Amino acid sequence: MNNRSYVIATGLVLLLSIVCLNLSVDSSARLKRVFSSFFIPLFSAQEGLETGGDAVVDRGVPRGVLLEEIAELKLTNQILRAELNQTAKLRNENEQLRRNLQMRPHPEWNPRLTRIVGRDPANWWRSIIIDLGSKDGVKADMPVIAADGLVGRVQEVYDHRSRVALLGDPACRISVTVEATRESGILSASGKTVFDPTLLDVLHLPASTEARPGDPLYTSGFSKIFPRGIPVGKLLAIESAPGALTTSARVKLAVNSSKLNEVWVLMP
Amino acid sequence: MKHFFILTILLTALISVYLSAAVGLSLQFLGTQINPLPALMMVVALRAPFSAVVTLAIFGALIQSSLSSDPIGIGMLPLYSLGFAVHLNARSLSQHHTGPRFALGAIAGAIVPALTLALLLLAGKQPMIGWFTLWQWAVGIVSSGLLALIYFPLLEWMDHSVEEQPLAAPYDTTTRIVRGPNLNG
Repeated sequence: MNNRSYVIATGLVLLLSIVCLNLSVDSSARLKRVFSSFFIPLFSAQEGLETGGDAVVDRGVPRGVLLEEIAELKLTNQILRAELNQTAKLRNENEQLRRNLQMRPHPEWNPRLTRIVGRDPANWWRSIIIDLGSKDGVKADMPVIAADGLVGRVQEVYDHRSRVALLGDPACRISVTVEATRESGILSASGKTVFDPTLLDVLHLPASTEARPGDPLYTSGFSKIFPRGIPVGKLLAIESAPGALTTSARVKLAVNSSKLNEVWVLMP
Repeated sequence: MKHFFILTILLTALISVYLSAAVGLSLQFLGTQINPLPALMMVVALRAPFSAVVTLAIFGALIQSSLSSDPIGIGMLPLYSLGFAVHLNARSLSQHHTGPRFALGAIAGAIVPALTLALLLLAGKQPMIGWFTLWQWAVGIVSSGLLALIYFPLLEWMDHSVEEQPLAAPYDTTTRIVRGPNLNG
């Protein structure tokens, strides 16, 4: 290998790096879409293996256990139906009142279940890859939730997969409200909280906050992305400094995203 | 036939990056993701032609960032810098025993993430860093050393498998044909 080849190769890599770093958001997303398509066969194989594995496990379950589970699920279903009927009444009443007060109606959300197929390979971001994409109707900024609360928002959408920025990621700073005091702040990760992915900070709470450890937090609904009232977590500790204009607080998230296998995308 | 060897290296990179994203065991138990590319680049720089170093730096960085929130191709320069430096000094680096192989992989695991983070900060991004980053870095160093122990024999095997083998001669190659007038003395 002669020196000329080294110079050409180094120049090529330098040039490519500079071009990549200066790409527009759209071009960068398009390029990512192209290169992520190399993984399509691997993700498809993973899906096939998981489906096959589930089928094998299902066949191995004894009939008695299945019947017992069915009976239990039927009972739960009846209880949930009864609760749903009550909620429907309350919702109708709520909508009627909003109409009377000439308030804008709440948007209807259509949750869609999706599997988590990957996680960000870089350690300095918090994001996951889900197996729903633009072909399934997913769009950027759609909220993503789990059974216990908010998970994050859709950050980038590909044809059959999307990347979700998790709570705490710099791309997913959200406004939250302390239920007890109606005070709002911004949920964010700090250097101290990256030890535990379920710990975050709420910044910009009022200096004279009356919030207490244990108070639940919900999405404030101030942004157009997240509807109001999705559970986010609980306050762990209030950290106020004398003379400071605002207070911050430590928060334990309702959802531990590192242990999730499935999430719901809220589609309008 | 080195083209096939380079192709198998890229395939190894693709599968390694996929596994690091799809299998979340290290994230669940150690709280950190493992980057397989530094160790692979170290081994490639020592065992493969320079074209493989360049191709792996470009392709590896692009596919890895396509699964990440990283800016596209952010790892290209760090990977290439490592590969280039190692390739230039390949003859002076000991690589035939387990200890040096582990050490080389560990060094790669230390350098690439540090350079990538520096580049991210220079590019004005706000990666999540704190004291925990040191733990992630330490785990990355050890895991990269261990991965190098896997990649060294794997690449040797791949090189032997796809490299052009001489065809077996249809005659006994040990027979010596002597021509000339003084055949019998």
